[in-house]
Amino acid sequence: MAEVNSELIEKLKQLIITRLKLADMTPNMIEADAPLFGDGLGLDSIDALELVLGLEKEFGVIIPDAEVGKKVFQSVRTMAQYVLDQKGMV
Amino acid sequence: MGRIAFCFPGQLQEGPALEDSHSLRRNPHFEEWLKRASRQTDFDLLNFSFKGEEAGYNLKLQISTYLLSMIHFFRLRAEGWVPDIITEHSMGIYAALAASRAISFEEGLFITESIGRILEREGTSSGGAMASILGLPFGDVEKIRQDLDGFGLSIANYNGSMHFVLSGNEEGIEKAIALALSRKAISATRLTFNIALHSPALSALSGEIEALLKRVEIRSPRYPILNHWTVRPLKREEIKGFLSQEIGQPVYWDRCVERLIQEGVSRFVEIGHGVTLSKLIRWIDRDVETISTGDRL
Repeated sequence: MAEVNSELIEKLKQLIITRLKLADMTPNMIEADAPLFGDGLGLDSIDALELVLGLEKEFGVIIPDAEVGKKVFQSVRTMAQYVLDQKGMV
Repeated sequence: MGRIAFCFPGQLQEGPALEDSHSLRRNPHFEEWLKRASRQTDFDLLNFSFKGEEAGYNLKLQISTYLLSMIHFFRLRAEGWVPDIITEHSMGIYAALAASRAISFEEGLFITESIGRILEREGTSSGGAMASILGLPFGDVEKIRQDLDGFGLSIANYNGSMHFVLSGNEEGIEKAIALALSRKAISATRLTFNIALHSPALSALSGEIEALLKRVEIRSPRYPILNHWTVRPLKREEIKGFLSQEIGQPVYWDRCVERLIQEGVSRFVEIGHGVTLSKLIRWIDRDVETISTGDRL
Protein backbone atom coordinates (compact mmCIF):
# COMPACT_ATOMS: atom_id res chain seq x y z
CA MET A 1 0.00 0.00 0.00
CA ALA A 2 1.42 3.40 -1.01
CA GLU A 3 2.07 5.82 1.82
CA VAL A 4 0.30 9.14 2.16
CA ASN A 5 2.67 12.10 1.80
CA SER A 6 2.39 15.68 3.00
CA GLU A 7 1.97 17.06 -0.52
CA LEU A 8 -1.21 15.06 -1.05
CA ILE A 9 -2.47 16.03 2.41
CA GLU A 10 -1.96 19.71 1.55
CA LYS A 11 -3.72 19.30 -1.81
CA LEU A 12 -6.72 17.74 -0.08
CA LYS A 13 -6.86 20.45 2.58
CA GLN A 14 -6.89 23.00 -0.22
CA LEU A 15 -9.60 21.04 -2.01
CA ILE A 16 -11.76 21.14 1.14
CA ILE A 17 -11.25 24.90 1.54
CA THR A 18 -11.92 25.67 -2.12
CA ARG A 19 -14.80 23.27 -2.63
CA LEU A 20 -16.59 24.29 0.57
CA LYS A 21 -15.74 27.99 0.09
CA LEU A 22 -14.22 28.22 3.58
CA ALA A 23 -12.87 31.70 2.94
CA ASP A 24 -11.72 32.25 6.53
CA MET A 25 -9.65 29.05 6.71
CA THR A 26 -6.11 28.15 5.71
CA PRO A 27 -4.75 24.62 5.23
CA ASN A 28 -2.75 24.76 8.47
CA MET A 29 -6.01 25.23 10.39
CA ILE A 30 -7.12 21.73 9.34
CA GLU A 31 -5.52 18.80 11.12
CA ALA A 32 -4.89 15.77 8.94
CA ASP A 33 -6.29 13.35 11.53
CA ALA A 34 -9.13 15.43 12.94
CA PRO A 35 -12.70 14.29 12.20
CA LEU A 36 -14.22 16.17 9.28
CA PHE A 37 -17.79 15.73 10.49
CA GLY A 38 -19.48 16.36 13.82
CA ASP A 39 -17.15 17.76 16.46
CA GLY A 40 -14.19 18.14 14.13
CA LEU A 41 -14.43 20.50 11.18
CA GLY A 42 -18.22 20.38 11.58
CA LEU A 43 -19.05 19.35 8.04
CA ASP A 44 -22.42 17.83 7.09
CA SER A 45 -23.91 15.70 4.32
CA ILE A 46 -24.28 18.69 1.98
CA ASP A 47 -20.54 19.29 2.35
CA ALA A 48 -19.91 15.58 1.75
CA LEU A 49 -21.63 15.82 -1.61
CA GLU A 50 -19.41 18.77 -2.54
CA LEU A 51 -16.33 16.75 -1.58
CA VAL A 52 -17.52 13.77 -3.64
CA LEU A 53 -17.72 16.07 -6.65
CA GLY A 54 -14.39 17.70 -5.80
CA LEU A 55 -12.54 14.37 -5.57
CA GLU A 56 -14.02 13.32 -8.88
CA LYS A 57 -13.08 16.58 -10.64
CA GLU A 58 -9.64 17.08 -9.13
CA PHE A 59 -8.42 13.51 -8.72
CA GLY A 60 -10.69 11.45 -10.97
CA VAL A 61 -11.65 9.36 -7.94
CA ILE A 62 -15.23 8.14 -7.47
CA ILE A 63 -17.02 7.70 -4.14
CA PRO A 64 -19.59 5.11 -5.21
CA ASP A 65 -21.98 5.19 -2.25
CA ALA A 66 -22.67 6.38 1.29
CA GLU A 67 -20.86 3.45 2.92
CA VAL A 68 -17.57 4.21 1.16
CA GLY A 69 -18.15 7.94 1.74
CA LYS A 70 -18.41 7.40 5.50
CA LYS A 71 -15.03 5.64 5.59
CA VAL A 72 -13.29 8.08 3.24
CA PHE A 73 -14.52 11.28 4.86
CA GLN A 74 -13.38 10.44 8.38
CA SER A 75 -10.37 12.76 8.07
CA VAL A 76 -8.05 14.35 5.53
CA ARG A 77 -5.70 11.39 5.98
CA THR A 78 -8.38 8.81 5.19
CA MET A 79 -9.29 10.85 2.10
CA ALA A 80 -5.63 10.83 1.05
CA GLN A 81 -5.35 7.08 1.59
CA TYR A 82 -8.42 6.50 -0.55
CA VAL A 83 -7.06 8.68 -3.36
CA LEU A 84 -3.79 6.73 -3.24
CA ASP A 85 -5.56 3.37 -3.19
CA GLN A 86 -7.68 4.33 -6.18
CA LYS A 87 -5.07 6.13 -8.23
CA GLY A 88 -1.74 4.87 -6.95
CA MET A 89 -0.62 8.51 -6.83
CA VAL A 90 2.13 9.74 -4.58
CA MET B 1 -22.71 45.85 -7.41
CA GLY B 2 -25.30 43.10 -7.53
CA ARG B 3 -28.48 42.96 -5.54
CA ILE B 4 -28.80 41.49 -2.05
CA ALA B 5 -31.30 38.79 -1.10
CA PHE B 6 -32.10 38.00 2.52
CA CYS B 7 -32.89 34.28 2.87
CA PHE B 8 -34.99 33.00 5.75
CA PRO B 9 -34.42 29.30 6.51
CA GLY B 10 -36.95 26.67 7.50
CA GLN B 11 -37.04 24.80 10.78
CA LEU B 12 -33.75 24.08 12.56
CA GLN B 13 -33.09 20.36 12.94
CA GLU B 14 -31.69 20.60 16.45
CA GLY B 15 -32.01 22.92 19.43
CA PRO B 16 -29.77 25.98 19.07
CA ALA B 17 -26.57 26.11 21.11
CA LEU B 18 -26.72 29.46 22.88
CA GLU B 19 -24.10 29.09 25.58
CA ASP B 20 -23.31 32.13 27.76
CA SER B 21 -20.26 32.97 25.69
CA HIS B 22 -22.17 32.99 22.40
CA SER B 23 -21.67 36.34 20.64
CA LEU B 24 -25.40 36.71 19.98
CA ARG B 25 -26.06 36.75 23.74
CA ARG B 26 -23.99 39.93 24.02
CA ASN B 27 -26.01 41.74 21.35
CA PRO B 28 -28.55 44.18 22.84
CA HIS B 29 -31.17 43.03 20.33
CA PHE B 30 -31.06 39.54 21.78
CA GLU B 31 -32.44 40.50 25.18
CA GLU B 32 -34.79 43.14 23.80
CA TRP B 33 -36.59 40.83 21.41
CA LEU B 34 -36.69 37.86 23.76
CA LYS B 35 -38.31 40.10 26.35
CA ARG B 36 -40.86 41.22 23.78
CA ALA B 37 -41.52 37.60 22.77
CA SER B 38 -42.00 36.57 26.40
CA ARG B 39 -45.04 38.86 26.68
CA GLN B 40 -46.79 36.63 24.19
CA THR B 41 -45.42 33.10 24.44
CA ASP B 42 -44.38 30.88 27.34
CA PHE B 43 -41.53 29.55 25.27
CA ASP B 44 -38.11 30.25 26.76
CA LEU B 45 -35.47 30.22 24.02
CA LEU B 46 -32.49 30.09 26.39
CA ASN B 47 -33.79 26.95 28.10
CA PHE B 48 -35.38 25.59 24.91
CA SER B 49 -38.57 24.82 26.82
CA PHE B 50 -42.05 26.10 27.59
CA LYS B 51 -42.80 27.29 31.10
CA GLY B 52 -45.13 24.75 32.67
CA GLU B 53 -45.74 22.75 29.52
CA GLU B 54 -44.22 19.67 27.92
CA ALA B 55 -44.28 20.63 24.26
CA GLY B 56 -43.10 18.72 21.23
CA TYR B 57 -39.55 19.03 19.95
CA ASN B 58 -40.61 20.33 16.53
CA LEU B 59 -42.82 23.08 17.97
CA LYS B 60 -39.88 24.27 20.08
CA LEU B 61 -37.62 24.17 17.04
CA GLN B 62 -40.12 26.15 14.97
CA ILE B 63 -40.40 28.96 17.52
CA SER B 64 -36.62 28.96 18.06
CA THR B 65 -36.08 29.26 14.31
CA TYR B 66 -38.48 32.20 14.07
CA LEU B 67 -37.03 34.05 17.05
CA LEU B 68 -33.42 33.58 15.98
CA SER B 69 -34.12 34.66 12.42
CA MET B 70 -35.84 37.80 13.68
CA ILE B 71 -33.12 38.65 16.20
CA HIS B 72 -30.46 38.25 13.50
CA PHE B 73 -32.59 40.35 11.14
CA PHE B 74 -33.00 43.20 13.65
CA ARG B 75 -29.28 43.03 14.42
CA LEU B 76 -28.37 43.33 10.74
CA ARG B 77 -30.91 46.05 10.10
CA ALA B 78 -29.42 48.09 12.93
CA GLU B 79 -26.04 47.71 11.25
CA GLY B 80 -27.44 49.18 8.03
CA TRP B 81 -28.09 46.03 6.01
CA VAL B 82 -31.05 46.32 3.66
CA PRO B 83 -32.31 43.60 1.30
CA ASP B 84 -33.37 44.23 -2.27
CA ILE B 85 -35.50 41.13 -2.10
CA ILE B 86 -36.42 38.43 0.40
CA THR B 87 -36.67 34.71 -0.12
CA GLU B 88 -37.57 31.92 2.26
CA HIS B 89 -37.54 28.17 2.67
CA SER B 90 -40.55 26.34 4.10
CA MET B 91 -41.55 27.80 7.47
CA GLY B 92 -39.05 30.63 6.98
CA ILE B 93 -42.02 32.46 5.46
CA TYR B 94 -43.20 33.66 8.90
CA ALA B 95 -39.96 35.51 9.65
CA ALA B 96 -39.75 36.67 6.03
CA LEU B 97 -43.18 38.30 6.35
CA ALA B 98 -42.30 39.92 9.67
CA ALA B 99 -38.97 41.20 8.32
CA SER B 100 -40.74 42.76 5.35
CA ARG B 101 -43.31 44.30 7.74
CA ALA B 102 -46.23 42.56 6.06
CA ILE B 103 -46.98 41.41 9.61
CA SER B 104 -45.62 42.49 12.99
CA PHE B 105 -43.04 40.54 15.03
CA GLU B 106 -45.85 39.49 17.38
CA GLU B 107 -48.13 38.40 14.55
CA GLY B 108 -45.29 36.32 13.10
CA LEU B 109 -44.76 34.69 16.48
CA PHE B 110 -48.50 34.05 16.82
CA ILE B 111 -48.65 32.40 13.35
CA THR B 112 -45.51 30.34 14.00
CA GLU B 113 -46.77 29.03 17.34
CA SER B 114 -50.36 28.47 16.17
CA ILE B 115 -49.40 26.55 13.03
CA GLY B 116 -46.74 24.73 15.04
CA ARG B 117 -49.39 23.53 17.48
CA ILE B 118 -51.65 22.38 14.64
CA LEU B 119 -48.74 20.42 13.18
CA GLU B 120 -47.86 18.99 16.57
CA ARG B 121 -51.44 17.74 17.01
CA GLU B 122 -51.37 16.33 13.48
CA GLY B 123 -48.05 14.55 14.19
CA THR B 124 -49.53 12.94 17.29
CA SER B 125 -52.79 11.86 15.63
CA SER B 126 -51.71 10.95 12.08
CA GLY B 127 -47.94 10.78 12.13
CA GLY B 128 -45.62 11.06 9.20
CA ALA B 129 -41.95 11.45 8.43
CA MET B 130 -39.46 13.16 6.16
CA ALA B 131 -36.07 12.22 4.74
CA SER B 132 -33.30 14.15 3.06
CA ILE B 133 -31.80 12.41 0.02
CA LEU B 134 -28.47 13.66 -1.30
CA GLY B 135 -26.47 12.57 -4.30
CA LEU B 136 -29.26 11.28 -6.55
CA PRO B 137 -30.74 13.27 -9.46
CA PHE B 138 -34.45 14.04 -9.69
CA GLY B 139 -35.23 11.06 -11.96
CA ASP B 140 -33.79 8.59 -9.43
CA VAL B 141 -35.66 10.15 -6.51
CA GLU B 142 -38.88 10.19 -8.50
CA LYS B 143 -38.31 6.51 -9.39
CA ILE B 144 -37.96 5.67 -5.67
CA ARG B 145 -41.21 7.49 -5.02
CA GLN B 146 -42.96 5.56 -7.81
CA ASP B 147 -41.44 2.22 -6.75
CA LEU B 148 -42.93 2.75 -3.30
CA ASP B 149 -46.38 3.51 -4.62
CA GLY B 150 -48.92 3.03 -1.86
CA PHE B 151 -46.81 4.61 0.88
CA GLY B 152 -48.02 8.12 0.07
CA LEU B 153 -44.56 9.50 -0.65
CA SER B 154 -44.10 12.87 -2.29
CA ILE B 155 -41.19 15.16 -3.02
CA ALA B 156 -41.43 17.89 -0.40
CA ASN B 157 -38.35 19.99 -1.23
CA TYR B 158 -36.54 20.61 -4.49
CA ASN B 159 -33.34 21.97 -2.97
CA GLY B 160 -30.94 21.47 -5.88
CA SER B 161 -30.02 19.07 -8.68
CA MET B 162 -28.89 16.41 -6.16
CA HIS B 163 -30.78 17.51 -3.04
CA PHE B 164 -34.34 16.42 -2.38
CA VAL B 165 -36.58 15.85 0.63
CA LEU B 166 -39.28 13.20 0.67
CA SER B 167 -42.40 13.24 2.83
CA GLY B 168 -44.73 10.35 3.62
CA ASN B 169 -45.71 7.85 6.24
CA GLU B 170 -43.02 6.48 8.51
CA GLU B 171 -42.78 3.05 6.92
CA GLY B 172 -42.59 4.54 3.43
CA ILE B 173 -39.85 6.96 4.44
CA GLU B 174 -37.77 4.17 6.02
CA LYS B 175 -38.13 2.12 2.85
CA ALA B 176 -37.22 5.15 0.72
CA ILE B 177 -34.04 5.69 2.75
CA ALA B 178 -33.00 2.06 2.30
CA LEU B 179 -33.76 2.19 -1.41
CA ALA B 180 -31.90 5.48 -1.89
CA LEU B 181 -28.80 4.10 -0.16
CA SER B 182 -28.93 0.90 -2.21
CA ARG B 183 -29.14 3.07 -5.34
CA LYS B 184 -25.95 4.95 -4.42
CA ALA B 185 -27.20 8.07 -2.64
CA ILE B 186 -24.36 9.75 -0.77
CA SER B 187 -26.67 10.37 2.15
CA ALA B 188 -30.27 9.47 3.01
CA THR B 189 -31.39 10.40 6.51
CA ARG B 190 -34.52 11.09 8.53
CA LEU B 191 -35.32 14.69 9.42
CA THR B 192 -36.76 15.50 12.84
CA PHE B 193 -40.31 16.05 11.59
CA ASN B 194 -43.05 13.68 12.77
CA ILE B 195 -45.38 14.84 9.99
CA ALA B 196 -45.30 14.72 6.19
CA LEU B 197 -44.73 18.45 5.79
CA HIS B 198 -45.10 19.94 2.28
CA SER B 199 -47.09 16.96 1.07
CA PRO B 200 -50.76 16.70 -0.03
CA ALA B 201 -51.45 14.82 3.23
CA LEU B 202 -51.41 18.19 5.02
CA SER B 203 -53.64 20.05 2.55
CA ALA B 204 -56.64 19.21 4.73
CA LEU B 205 -55.27 21.60 7.38
CA SER B 206 -55.49 24.67 5.16
CA GLY B 207 -59.03 25.58 6.35
CA GLU B 208 -57.91 25.61 9.97
CA ILE B 209 -54.92 27.80 9.11
CA GLU B 210 -57.15 30.16 7.11
CA ALA B 211 -59.38 30.53 10.18
CA LEU B 212 -56.52 31.49 12.50
CA LEU B 213 -55.17 33.96 9.93
CA LYS B 214 -58.42 35.93 10.25
CA ARG B 215 -56.88 37.40 13.40
CA VAL B 216 -53.99 38.86 11.39
CA GLU B 217 -54.02 41.84 9.06
CA ILE B 218 -51.55 41.55 6.22
CA ARG B 219 -49.91 44.71 4.89
CA SER B 220 -47.98 45.14 1.64
CA PRO B 221 -44.43 43.82 2.09
CA ARG B 222 -41.87 46.62 2.30
CA TYR B 223 -39.34 44.35 0.55
CA PRO B 224 -40.58 41.95 -2.15
CA ILE B 225 -40.82 38.31 -1.04
CA LEU B 226 -40.31 35.77 -3.80
CA ASN B 227 -43.07 33.17 -4.11
CA HIS B 228 -41.24 29.93 -4.91
CA TRP B 229 -44.24 28.45 -6.76
CA THR B 230 -44.59 31.31 -9.26
CA VAL B 231 -41.07 32.79 -8.81
CA ARG B 232 -42.70 36.21 -8.69
CA PRO B 233 -43.08 38.51 -5.68
CA LEU B 234 -45.99 37.64 -3.40
CA LYS B 235 -48.79 40.19 -3.60
CA ARG B 236 -50.41 41.31 -0.36
CA GLU B 237 -53.72 39.67 -1.27
CA GLU B 238 -51.97 36.35 -2.05
CA ILE B 239 -50.20 36.00 1.29
CA LYS B 240 -52.95 34.39 3.40
CA GLY B 241 -53.63 31.85 0.66
CA PHE B 242 -49.91 31.10 0.42
CA LEU B 243 -49.67 30.57 4.19
CA SER B 244 -52.68 28.27 4.34
CA GLN B 245 -51.55 26.14 1.39
CA GLU B 246 -47.77 26.01 1.69
CA ILE B 247 -47.64 23.19 4.26
CA GLY B 248 -49.39 20.99 1.67
CA GLN B 249 -47.21 22.05 -1.27
CA PRO B 250 -43.55 21.38 -2.14
CA VAL B 251 -40.78 23.94 -1.65
CA TYR B 252 -39.06 24.87 -4.91
CA TRP B 253 -35.89 26.33 -3.47
CA ASP B 254 -33.73 25.63 -6.55
CA ARG B 255 -35.91 27.61 -8.96
CA CYS B 256 -36.18 30.41 -6.41
CA VAL B 257 -32.39 30.83 -6.24
CA GLU B 258 -32.05 30.52 -10.01
CA ARG B 259 -34.63 33.27 -10.56
CA LEU B 260 -32.92 35.56 -8.06
CA ILE B 261 -29.59 35.12 -9.83
CA GLN B 262 -31.28 35.91 -13.15
CA GLU B 263 -32.68 39.03 -11.49
CA GLY B 264 -29.18 40.21 -10.62
CA VAL B 265 -28.79 38.97 -7.04
CA SER B 266 -25.12 38.25 -6.37
CA ARG B 267 -25.11 38.23 -2.56
CA PHE B 268 -27.31 35.93 -0.50
CA VAL B 269 -27.50 36.57 3.23
CA GLU B 270 -28.91 33.71 5.29
CA ILE B 271 -30.82 35.20 8.21
CA GLY B 272 -30.87 32.57 10.92
CA HIS B 273 -28.86 30.39 13.21
CA GLY B 274 -27.67 27.79 10.69
CA VAL B 275 -25.85 27.62 7.39
CA THR B 276 -27.99 25.15 5.42
CA LEU B 277 -29.40 27.59 2.86
CA SER B 278 -25.93 28.97 2.18
CA LYS B 279 -24.73 25.46 1.42
CA LEU B 280 -27.69 24.76 -0.85
CA ILE B 281 -27.04 28.01 -2.73
CA ARG B 282 -23.36 27.07 -3.06
CA TRP B 283 -24.43 23.90 -4.84
CA ILE B 284 -26.80 25.76 -7.19
CA ASP B 285 -24.26 28.45 -8.17
CA ARG B 286 -20.70 28.56 -6.86
CA ASP B 287 -20.09 32.08 -8.19
CA VAL B 288 -22.53 33.98 -6.01
CA GLU B 289 -21.55 35.15 -2.55
CA THR B 290 -23.25 33.56 0.44
CA ILE B 291 -23.03 34.91 3.96
CA SER B 292 -24.70 33.44 6.99
CA THR B 293 -25.60 35.29 10.15
CA GLY B 294 -25.14 32.03 12.00
CA ASP B 295 -21.57 31.77 10.83
CA ARG B 296 -19.66 34.80 9.60
CA LEU B 297 -21.86 37.78 10.40
